[in-house]
Amino acid sequence: MDNLGFLFAANAFVWGGIIYYVYTIKQRNRALEKDLELLKETLSKEGR
Amino acid sequence: MMSSDEVAENAEESNILVWLTGLVFLATMIAIFIYVPTERTEGVVQRIMYFHIPCAWLSFFAFFVVFICSILFLWKKDREWDIYAHASAEIGVIFCSLVLITGPIWARPIWGAWWVWDARLTSTLILWIIYVSYLMLRAQSDPGSMRARYAAVLGIVGFLDIPLIHFSVLWWRAFHPQPKVITSEGIGKGMETGMLATLGISLCAFTLLYFLLMGVRVRQENLKDEIDRLKRETLYSS
Repeated sequence: MDNLGFLFAANAFVWGGIIYYVYTIKQRNRALEKDLELLKETLSKEGR
Repeated sequence: MMSSDEVAENAEESNILVWLTGLVFLATMIAIFIYVPTERTEGVVQRIMYFHIPCAWLSFFAFFVVFICSILFLWKKDREWDIYAHASAEIGVIFCSLVLITGPIWARPIWGAWWVWDARLTSTLILWIIYVSYLMLRAQSDPGSMRARYAAVLGIVGFLDIPLIHFSVLWWRAFHPQPKVITSEGIGKGMETGMLATLGISLCAFTLLYFLLMGVRVRQENLKDEIDRLKRETLYSS
């Protein structure tokens, strides 16, 4: 079939874009979890 | 802050939305690659339309949410509206980028060129630049009400480009095809039933994805605000 490569490329870009965005959200979540842990540690050290 | 019951309820709702979005995307892929008939003149490459139009719909919808939430923020001065606008702008930019990528991939075998400075293509590129600037403005300036106010103004002004994008192919001579979904004869009159059904499922899948991503991003921003508030409190009390 003609132009199948173009269809594949468009499909790959769309899924790649969605997966990349979800990955960045996960990374930000991880950073927030770290922040939260640090905050909990600080508060428990201060005895609050 | 949310109670543990509210957190559990939210997590359950998110799980349902994840499964529903996954199932509708599966149906979309089956419809695009198995069910829908191949278009006679463009051939198999025309199937890009089932990604291209939903990405465009999602980005326009996301920018519409930015527009509404920005107006509400300027009116009510409530941080929650600013969070919604920010999250929606981010999603809009991602999908507008995908429109600008899938469009040229579709155009190359049909028009023989990756890009032409046609009214619709150029106005879509301008829209993308406006909302990338919106995100850059938010990233580069200090958090606070001034940043939110400037961003809200840009979010409102940027949306005015969308009607221009829609009507550009009707007002000026353009390479880009005329609207096939919303036509002067009615919605979906310019398409064959199988194609319209496939496009409909794909539009549903991308809309569900928008709500899923919005939910996650809004919760994330709220948590970030809460952590920042606790950090400030800890700093001042020590």
